[in-house]
Amino acid sequence: MTRPAIEKCLLIGLGTFLIATPWIVPVMANKFWVSVIAEILIWSIFAASVNLLFGYVGLLSFGQALFFGFGMYGVGIGIDQLHLSFWSAFAFGVGAATVMALITGILAVRLTWHYFAIITIVFSLIFYFLAVRMKSLTGGDDGINFSLPPVFSFGTTRYSLTDQTFQYFFILTIFALCFYLMHLVTRSSLGRAFLAIRENDLRAALIGLNVYALRLTAFVMAGFLAGISGALFAFFGRYASASYMFYHVSGDGVVWAIVGGAGTLFGPVVGTTLFIFIREVVSTHWEHHSLIVGVMAILVVMLAPSGLVGLWKKGLSRIGRRDASIELNPKAKLRSQP
Amino acid sequence: MMDTLLLLALNGLIWGLIIALIALGLSIIFGLLDIINVAHGDFFMIGTVLTWFILDATGLFWPAFIFVPVIGFVLGAVIQRGIIQPIHNAAALSIVATFGLSLILQEAVRMTFGATPRRILPPIQGTVQLFSIEYDIYRIFAAALSIAALTAFFLFLQYTKIGTWMRAVRHDRETAIAMGIPAQKIFIFTFGIGFALAAFGGIVAAPITTVDFRGGVDLLPFCFMAVIIGGLGNLLGTAAAAILLALFEGIIQSFTDPTIARICSLVLMSAVLMLRPQGLFKGLAK
Repeated sequence: MTRPAIEKCLLIGLGTFLIATPWIVPVMANKFWVSVIAEILIWSIFAASVNLLFGYVGLLSFGQALFFGFGMYGVGIGIDQLHLSFWSAFAFGVGAATVMALITGILAVRLTWHYFAIITIVFSLIFYFLAVRMKSLTGGDDGINFSLPPVFSFGTTRYSLTDQTFQYFFILTIFALCFYLMHLVTRSSLGRAFLAIRENDLRAALIGLNVYALRLTAFVMAGFLAGISGALFAFFGRYASASYMFYHVSGDGVVWAIVGGAGTLFGPVVGTTLFIFIREVVSTHWEHHSLIVGVMAILVVMLAPSGLVGLWKKGLSRIGRRDASIELNPKAKLRSQP
Repeated sequence: MMDTLLLLALNGLIWGLIIALIALGLSIIFGLLDIINVAHGDFFMIGTVLTWFILDATGLFWPAFIFVPVIGFVLGAVIQRGIIQPIHNAAALSIVATFGLSLILQEAVRMTFGATPRRILPPIQGTVQLFSIEYDIYRIFAAALSIAALTAFFLFLQYTKIGTWMRAVRHDRETAIAMGIPAQKIFIFTFGIGFALAAFGGIVAAPITTVDFRGGVDLLPFCFMAVIIGGLGNLLGTAAAAILLALFEGIIQSFTDPTIARICSLVLMSAVLMLRPQGLFKGLAK
């Protein structure tokens, strides 16, 4: 079997499992794991936003928690104080995150490399401290709790996220849409242009790509993804808190994306799944689960620098003799400026 | 009003001297090894915790000044040899590795030391009349210690063989290696010194702040600010920036609260990053 065939089978298997989760998992294990899987799906979108910047454009952002927080607070404040409906609160959260990404991005993408990593931390810290300070609006570190409005209502029947199964499928749908969108982007000429910048920004500029505009585009898209995950997490927890804007949350996203495999579509999902799974399994028995997370992060970086998905590709290409670096080859098809 | 201003400005100045020690470690690690060490705040925290353990075991504060920097140096050297060197020049990976390291250090301290913050009594107690206020003697002593350590470090860098090697490797790694300087050993040594400096800062600061496994988390952004505003790899600039920043925050704090002061210095830092990414002191110092 060739690598694409094996991967297609895996993808179909994963899809089937995810669709059947609300019925299989309570039988196999415990109902609790359904919500763990829902949480993994949400955080995977967050890790994907780090990956879009680092894996495809070569910008390491340590500040994605800022946009996660904006998505979260957009929903929280939208429902709690502006009394918006479900969909307008959702749009409000994601919109706030995207606009914020545009504003900070205009400044941040002028810098690269170390400077970019540091300015993203700085921006997220500024808003973290502001959120801690503006207690009346944000609730500070304690956060705000709110109750959920219904998602759809037809006459008397209402669908609300308080129904566990409905909530799961809602999250799964958004997750699938986000990753389909990522898939489309990475296959498009825009995605190719991103890769060209990652490999060599000077050369990309010389062949006529507008490096600044492309980096900004990627930054806004990543902010949009982080905003979606933040908004979903707010709905999921019925809660928004400043502590989710701290740089440790961004750091988690970076670790998940790189351990899973930066520059691959499903790397962030693998990394997020691994770490959240470990956290949930270990934390019930042993409170020091961060120790394992730290050791795992170091081991993966030392032994499999291209991440778990990178390791998998290398392993399979040895068997199937397929070129594992098709997606990573920037020379493939670089047409014109998008 | 004048009294609070003076008190907070003095506190800021002394805190800035301690931060300068820690930020210097961050800066030499960055300058020589080209990695962003996210665990550096935790090196400081390890210093405070080791001090607490030594005080707890012997009842004395002073032995900490001998043991803690040595333990810090050894830990740093081991970390560089065991974790950083195998990844070598992949800067993004080194951020992940040091992030993992930071989790390990914090969790290890939480397991052994516990999650409750503790206080250490200053080994020298009493106050002294300074202008119009009564000021802690220990804080003045801490300032003197920090200045001594900073001076010693710069003298070491300028006048010893290893110090010269460190500057040479930072300046031009390839040429330095060609001239027969053992660059790998210098990297290990640099990381050890960086850890030792942060741990030394930890001892000095332990009686002033609380000993807590999260003690490094708040400190790290501040150290980064000093390194950036001083100019990446510019050691004198880093030290000066740390002192100025803490003084600046101290003065702002006397008008408003610490969070606003922190936001102001963060905004200042973004402005420096955008307008003068080489640091404020480019051209003034080498």
